[in-house]
Amino acid sequence: MIPEPFEYHSPQSLEEALRLVTEFGEEGKMMAGGHSLLPMMKLRLASPRHVIDLGRLSELRYIRESDGWIEIGALTTHFQIESSSLLREKCPLLPETAREIGDAQVRNLGTLGGSLAHADPAADWPAAILALDAEIRANSAGGERWIAAQDFFVGLMTTALAPGEILTAVRLPPLPRRAGDTYLKLRQPASGFAVVGVGVRLALNEAAHIERVAIGVTGIGPKAYRAAAVERELLGKPPTARRLAEAAARAADGVQTNSDLFASAEYRKHLASVYVRRALELALERANP
Amino acid sequence: MKVEGSRQLAAPREVVYRCLMDPLSLAQALPGCEKLDPQPDGSYQATLKIGIASIKGTYQGRVQILDALPPESFRMKIEGKGAGGFLKGEGTISLTVQNGGTLISYSGEVQIGGMIASVGQRMMQAAAQQMVQQFFDAFSHQLPAVQPDAVNSGGLPPST
Amino acid sequence: MSSKLLGERIKRKEDPRLIQGRSHYVDDIQLCGMLYLAFVRSPHAHAEIKAIHSEAAQKMPGVLAVYTGADLEGRLGLIPCAAGMEGLKVPPHPCLALRRVRYVGEPVAVVVASGRYQAVDAAAQVEVDYEPLPAITDLDKAVSSDSPVIHESLGDNIAFVAKLEGGDWKAVESDASLKVIRQRLVNQRLAPLSMETRGVVASYSPGEDTLTVWSSTQIPHLLKTQLAVMTGMDEARVRVIAPEVGGAFGSKLNVYAEEGVACFVSRQFGKPVKWIESRRENLMATIHGRDQIDDLEIYFRPDGKVMGLKCHILANLGAYHQLLTPAIPTLTALMILGCYNIPAVFVETKGVFTNTMSTDAYRGAGRPEATYIIERVMDMVARELNLDPVEVRLKNFPPPGKDIVLATGVSYDTANYQKTLKKVLTLSGYKKLRREQARLRKKGKYLGIGLSTYVEICAMGPSSRMPAGGWESGTVRVEPTGKVTVLSGTSPHGQGEETSFAQIVAEELGVPYDDVTVYHGDTNQVPMGIGTFGSRTTAVGGTAIYHAAQRIKKKMARLAAVKLGAKPSELVFRDGKIETEDGSKSVKFGEVVGEAYFAKQLPPGLAPGLVENYVFEPPNYTYPFGAHVAVVEIDNETGEVNLRNYFAVDDCGRILNPMLVDGQIHGGLAQGIGQALWEEHVYDENGQLLTGTLMDCAAPRAHQFCWFETANTETRTPVNPLGVKGVGEAGTIGSTPAIVNAVMDALRPLGVRHIDMPLKPEKIWQVLRGGSPQVV
Ligand SMILES: Cc1cc2nc3c(=O)[nH]c(=O)nc-3n(C[C@H](O)[C@H](O)[C@H](O)COP(=O)(O)OP(=O)(O)OC[C@H]3O[C@@H](n4cnc5c(N)ncnc54)[C@H](O)[C@@H]3O)c2cc1C
Repeated sequence: MIPEPFEYHSPQSLEEALRLVTEFGEEGKMMAGGHSLLPMMKLRLASPRHVIDLGRLSELRYIRESDGWIEIGALTTHFQIESSSLLREKCPLLPETAREIGDAQVRNLGTLGGSLAHADPAADWPAAILALDAEIRANSAGGERWIAAQDFFVGLMTTALAPGEILTAVRLPPLPRRAGDTYLKLRQPASGFAVVGVGVRLALNEAAHIERVAIGVTGIGPKAYRAAAVERELLGKPPTARRLAEAAARAADGVQTNSDLFASAEYRKHLASVYVRRALELALERANP
Repeated sequence: MKVEGSRQLAAPREVVYRCLMDPLSLAQALPGCEKLDPQPDGSYQATLKIGIASIKGTYQGRVQILDALPPESFRMKIEGKGAGGFLKGEGTISLTVQNGGTLISYSGEVQIGGMIASVGQRMMQAAAQQMVQQFFDAFSHQLPAVQPDAVNSGGLPPST
Repeated sequence: MSSKLLGERIKRKEDPRLIQGRSHYVDDIQLCGMLYLAFVRSPHAHAEIKAIHSEAAQKMPGVLAVYTGADLEGRLGLIPCAAGMEGLKVPPHPCLALRRVRYVGEPVAVVVASGRYQAVDAAAQVEVDYEPLPAITDLDKAVSSDSPVIHESLGDNIAFVAKLEGGDWKAVESDASLKVIRQRLVNQRLAPLSMETRGVVASYSPGEDTLTVWSSTQIPHLLKTQLAVMTGMDEARVRVIAPEVGGAFGSKLNVYAEEGVACFVSRQFGKPVKWIESRRENLMATIHGRDQIDDLEIYFRPDGKVMGLKCHILANLGAYHQLLTPAIPTLTALMILGCYNIPAVFVETKGVFTNTMSTDAYRGAGRPEATYIIERVMDMVARELNLDPVEVRLKNFPPPGKDIVLATGVSYDTANYQKTLKKVLTLSGYKKLRREQARLRKKGKYLGIGLSTYVEICAMGPSSRMPAGGWESGTVRVEPTGKVTVLSGTSPHGQGEETSFAQIVAEELGVPYDDVTVYHGDTNQVPMGIGTFGSRTTAVGGTAIYHAAQRIKKKMARLAAVKLGAKPSELVFRDGKIETEDGSKSVKFGEVVGEAYFAKQLPPGLAPGLVENYVFEPPNYTYPFGAHVAVVEIDNETGEVNLRNYFAVDDCGRILNPMLVDGQIHGGLAQGIGQALWEEHVYDENGQLLTGTLMDCAAPRAHQFCWFETANTETRTPVNPLGVKGVGEAGTIGSTPAIVNAVMDALRPLGVRHIDMPLKPEKIWQVLRGGSPQVV
């Protein structure tokens, strides 16, 4: 469990980091909290020649609100999110998700940006970010762009980030009125990662019909996804228990489902529908105080 | 581990078959293929740099085509080893004419050993599927380059 | 102060240094000029080694040598197996594979380098050409006549067949009134997973011709003897030190290839050599536990009395024998009747080689399997007859008493199974729980209540019945200043015997607890002993120390008697004094110590000094027992099991320190519950280890548990004067069946008799939706 030799770089600014990232190209790897990268390096599954430690870029460690949008710097740790009073008030889904990640040590070092960039098929953040309709900022030597969460996860551990891009922030649209959200997860007993993780944000209109609903699902397929089939069934409809259940049954529609030692593809599909339904029920309860 | 699936390609069966037998187009389509040298016995010596995202390993090995029944089916045997362990696979690929194109169905067993097997079980299936997908994506890009008359005349697709 | 130490919740002497990270484990040992080892391991479960190419590795920076099996042949002895049973097949087990590899992770070559990283980098450059052979991992297939053979010279894959039979089977089989249940139980493979992995530092001094070995081991003395034999060195020139050992659970009760190789390399170079096991290596190349298939036939009367039990055991031994590999499943046979008076028993145990890492002692070692079998038997019988499992157990318990002999021939020291059962039923509110269960069932909710009333065998053990001696040594030395040094031949590694041994000695000698220092684990400092395993350390090792303390007392009492003009037998040791019961005649402890050392006026026949050694040979094992109740809730949509309550009443004989007992019980419960619900160490059909990291190998974690409600009864054993039985393994042994029984109890309305462990939610979901619990 000793990595192959590598060179360590510790840029002091985003600019310098971008330069190094461009310079080393395929040979370089960014490190944020290191809690996904280092285990892979120790197993020699990943062997970058250069490790570019983003840890000194304190300008990427923040949680702030402006114009109703909340913006979170990429290097913000899971624990900072878990303990943020702003988020607890404005977007409880995020602290709720953070609490489900690993253990205290992992939460103290692992970062939001690192987790999203890593795009582990069983990571928690992707589901939460999808449910919140978040946008992800990518900076490169050429400038910056915002990527919608929906477009961000491309495949197994593959994202829309282009070579040379650094994920710098995530921003969340304002919480609609009469909205509720939640994150529910079944932990794999060994890894603690999600066998299934479901983030839901749901908003009701005046008539108490579902005005908006976004469901992010992780752990089920090669990448986290929006349960679009479920959302379609619910939009504009009154959220009866029966409708929620019927819609949730489509939680894994069209998804190529993972199977592993812990859960077969068939069981995962089932779990997806149960957890989506339960998350919907809970979010609804919260939207209906 | 079972790897199974099918893929519809918009090219005549003969073209697809021929392309699959062509080392050049195969080398272009195989993810991370760094070398694919035909051997006198009909097999290929291959160097593949395969994996997902930053988890990549280089494997040296042999690809063998067996029981070729042009243009319907063949069996493929792959063996490779690298720092991450070894892999062995055997499967049947069959081609059927469908919807004016070709449906490729593949079904095989892949055995993975060593490091990758012992640390990656939760992602193995998804990784294998993703790589197969990558292969067909790349492979289908090769196909339009084939002129129907080239097929009729029995010529190989133009190499790039 | 000194009196009344035994039975108190005294904080552990070893904790301050451990908690503050100020002590030394093997990896903390730094020696000048240290070389490092990295092993090249087989990625194949079964293959011929065609060639090993080490040229590239040899040219890497810092590399001094690469050795293969061929290099060691004839120069380093084989890995020993101490289990000597009749007809046992013992395949040669070289430290580095010769010609063939037989499990994934088997060491094939070793790189020696001056840096740890350099060694690992170079090991990655060693290329081995393998010719793969069919791998055998399935026990049923391995014993079939057409199976490939793992050790060709042995003819087949069956290492031994052992039979144990008792009672009148004719009567049982001809009794038409008996009902019969046939059931297969699978006891899955587990990884012992101590917090500290294995590690060794071997340091050979060419001038003195001495070899000092620091190893993370449970058996420094046995290891010393074995390493002397393997290296061909004079045993007097080998010293083994077990520094702090961060857990072992049986996995370090062994002699491993890496230890032998480290000694060999150190002797080659005349330099210290270090090897520290990675977690990955730990999961694949440190012994595993359990892994049995048990085919049962249960004969019972309609009133719940079980009349006969037959069991065919297929025990997966792995590819080679480690130190005690074949002996472990024989403990299953021995304890298969548990605490029930079942008149007829038949057990046939087949030890089977497969292309997997060796199994050996893991916390409980053979007894958890036995307990699982018999406790599941009780519940299956109860279910079949629609009786309460409590009733069935009471029907089959022997009456309380001493020297209870069962059909297995085992004679239990003391027992009162009724008492622990009664206590746990009260503690758990059993009747109330049953009422709650009935209420919930009506609402379609599944609450399960599971019992386990176990008995185990420990304090190992009488030498006549142990593979390599079961005695233990203890030394008490009162130093000239009056401080006391205790030396134990055992080798505790986390259990806290530095504390309990000090309690024993301080109480006996009437000196302050803080004046007693306990040492163990250094073969040059401590007289020969056996080690720590089989819940023996306090019951056997502690007893030796107790006796040594008695000898000291005897001598000191004679000295004090002269001074006081009293009879030695009138004197008591308390509060730093030796005095008559009424305190009228009294002399300070230190004063008598002075007499012994200055030796001016010793009574005739009394030698100077105050050091006494005692070797204790236990006349029997001890048999702790207990009764546990687990309460689980099943999520009837997903099959998830929620452990709601756990109640444990354990009887480990006399309790010397309740805090230490609690600690052992809590940890043991965690491991036992872990097996029932989550853990499995899995090889695929090609012999690849799928659970090779902690991402997949589900070691239990604290957050997965409810609070454990524990209590005790104290039934002292007559086997040793302390009356202690042992508690190191009890929690693990008792808890696994309690959980499985609880889950099966919850699912009772669904008509399913058994699901194999671990009870992963998917298996339960299969049952919930009306299917059979397929293997997932
Ligand atoms: C024991 C343990 C348990 C865990 N349990 C969970 C769990 O239950 N749920 C869960 O979701 N996760 C879990 N994790 C993963 C953890 O949350 C990681 O911290 C997270 O996945 C990665 O974040 P990081 O900051 O550590 O990233 P790193 O490991 O530093 O980087 C991960 C990858 O992202 C890239 N990267 C990092 N930052 C950026 C950036 N700003 N821009 C572009 N690329 C970047 C790196 O190059 C690397 O490829 C666990 C980890 C451990 C060790």
